Amino acid sequence: MNLEKVIFGFFVLLAATLNFGFFIGDISVVELHNQYELFGALVVSLIATVLKFGDRTQIGAVHLATSLVADLQLVCAALVWGYAAHVAAEGVTPYAMASVVSLSGGALLANLVSVVLLVIETVSFHRR
Amino acid sequence: MSNVLQVFWKQIFGDDDDEERRHLRWRARLGSGDQASATIFVIMRRMRAPLIILIVIFAVSVLGLVLIPGEDPAGLPYHMSFFDAFYFMSYTASTIGFGELPFPFTDNQRMWVTISIYLTVIGWAYAIGSLLTLIQDRAFRNALALQRFSRKVRRLREPFLLFAGYGQTGELLGKSFDLLGQQFVVIDQSADRIDSLDLVAYHADIPGLVGDVRNPHHLAVAGLDHPYCSGVVALTSDDEVNLAVTMAAALLRPELPVIARTVSPSIEDRMHAFGTPSVVNPFDRFGDHLRLALRSPASYQLLTWLESGPGAARPKRGRPPTEGRWVLCGYGRFGKEMAADLRAEGLELTIIEPVARAGQDPDIVVGDGSDPEVMAKVDLESAVGFVAGTDNDTTNLSLIAAARRINPNLFVAARQNHQASAPLFEAMHIDSLLVPTEVVAHEVYAQLSTPLLWRFLQEMPAKGDEWAAELLKRITESCGRRLSDLWKVRMTATEAPALRPWLADGSAVIGDLLRSPDDRSSHLAIVPLLVQRGTESVLTPDDDFVLQPDDEVLLAGRSSERRLLDTTLFDDSASQYVLYDRHVPASWVWRKIAPAKQQTQDAAH
Repeated sequence: MNLEKVIFGFFVLLAATLNFGFFIGDISVVELHNQYELFGALVVSLIATVLKFGDRTQIGAVHLATSLVADLQLVCAALVWGYAAHVAAEGVTPYAMASVVSLSGGALLANLVSVVLLVIETVSFHRR
Repeated sequence: MSNVLQVFWKQIFGDDDDEERRHLRWRARLGSGDQASATIFVIMRRMRAPLIILIVIFAVSVLGLVLIPGEDPAGLPYHMSFFDAFYFMSYTASTIGFGELPFPFTDNQRMWVTISIYLTVIGWAYAIGSLLTLIQDRAFRNALALQRFSRKVRRLREPFLLFAGYGQTGELLGKSFDLLGQQFVVIDQSADRIDSLDLVAYHADIPGLVGDVRNPHHLAVAGLDHPYCSGVVALTSDDEVNLAVTMAAALLRPELPVIARTVSPSIEDRMHAFGTPSVVNPFDRFGDHLRLALRSPASYQLLTWLESGPGAARPKRGRPPTEGRWVLCGYGRFGKEMAADLRAEGLELTIIEPVARAGQDPDIVVGDGSDPEVMAKVDLESAVGFVAGTDNDTTNLSLIAAARRINPNLFVAARQNHQASAPLFEAMHIDSLLVPTEVVAHEVYAQLSTPLLWRFLQEMPAKGDEWAAELLKRITESCGRRLSDLWKVRMTATEAPALRPWLADGSAVIGDLLRSPDDRSSHLAIVPLLVQRGTESVLTPDDDFVLQPDDEVLLAGRSSERRLLDTTLFDDSASQYVLYDRHVPASWVWRKIAPAKQQTQDAAH
């Protein structure tokens, strides 16, 4: 067992599950989407990105790319939420919530690709 | 195999595959870009830990602030939002500290903030410290320098020379080529030498790399595989290294001209095994020059002047004694070359050599040159010339002083080994001074600046002393005591478009061409040195020498005169005036009207 692989797999999977947990539920209803879950998804996704730094293989590069996409989407979601809650006059409207959740949905897709890559990497791993 | 970053890399370093197609002989793959990118990957890996720690510390502190209940001014329970908490942590962690926002904190919150301040400061310090360490990391800096250098070289879009080794010789040569507007790229083992590139004020931006000259990868990064590389010059002080460069250049780019410096005849032989490099042996060349000086002082003066590069002052004409006995101190490589050359000129020779060897010449006096007894034994009073040729500058200087004390009328030749001793040798007023670095620099300059100059210098000695003296007088009259420009004009449609009809005439005498476009009764102060036609060459053509299309002419003159000649070469109206004394209008419209006017004028006459 390789501890590095365990930590790596843990963070990639956790990023996807947290993201999924936040995403699920009616897209425009604020009560169905927990802000702590979005925060957790963002932090875990950032850590997963840094973990992917410096991998020179082809699959490592795609990993990094998907992670960067997920980060970008989640940061955008957090920004939209922050803007709606603090700056916008009308507060967190169902419309704003729908934007936040759909952005996190995009991140979820990227995270799923990451998980698929992880599975592919595991399956194609041969100990020489 | 390639990933995103490598694609990015490839774009920085240019596409290697393309070059491969251009040079079919180029088989070895020199993956220099990979080496540089490997370092960047290592550095990214090393930043992992500090970044993750920073993210975790931030996340924990922000989450804590959001979870801990606070109070608003009305005393009602209040929870910070993620936005507030992140804002607060950002300015607190970076030690800016705007205070407790949006409302004064409760003790509960303050406890948590105290903990998180210490945590975040440590996190930042660790991350920034790691980053600074990385920036100062030698490997990282080298990778950056290599990348910058590679990019500069790849982007060169003019012919350039590759200098392998940048010592005193390289610097001298670099200055001459820079004045000519010739680009070059430098690679040297020593970082000091590369730093000195910035100290010399070159007009062009000269890329320099600290690298192992023997390593073909480094040579490739420096542009050996670049389509615009026009020649390789191996100038290090180590003969083996120069041999390695010659080999690499000959094997990887056989079509490139290579010039290598060496002082050892055996290395010279080994260099010749690889293609046809020009090998410059400073000792050998100095001997040849001294022979020329003995036979024809004016030719020697002309040779050294033309070789010294743009802006060189006219050297003094030495008069070495051609009869009598010479004394030579130091019988190493240099001494042997000198002895052979002096004997070939029929001079009598006495040699002083500190170390006795079996089976050596009976003429050799064994002993230390600084020993008065030894000096007495060689009988300097009756000698005419003295050569101080040891590899130690202090010894050479003291030998000269001792020899001059015995016989002040001696002709003194000396070898200067280090640049630092230059002022001392200058103060001694040596009649003929060998500075190996200068000999090599001048020789390489003559070979590479224009092929016509090299041709001229090869053929010039055969013309004799009087001819050379006459030519020196002409050059001095037209250019002054400083050599200004030496340039080449090709009588082709691109370089002399205004002269095509005149050249086709068959009566194109060079004297007409060199009239001034301001007033054709006066001549431009330009001296034609050589006309090259196919493989034939004519030295210093007369005014009535007939030029033909595609001739190449080597000219010497001031740059102002050169610009005037350029007008004649390119401007139709100027060339018509200069060549035929015809006034042709410069603009197209007037030229269309002109024939009618000309005819009426002719009719009036």
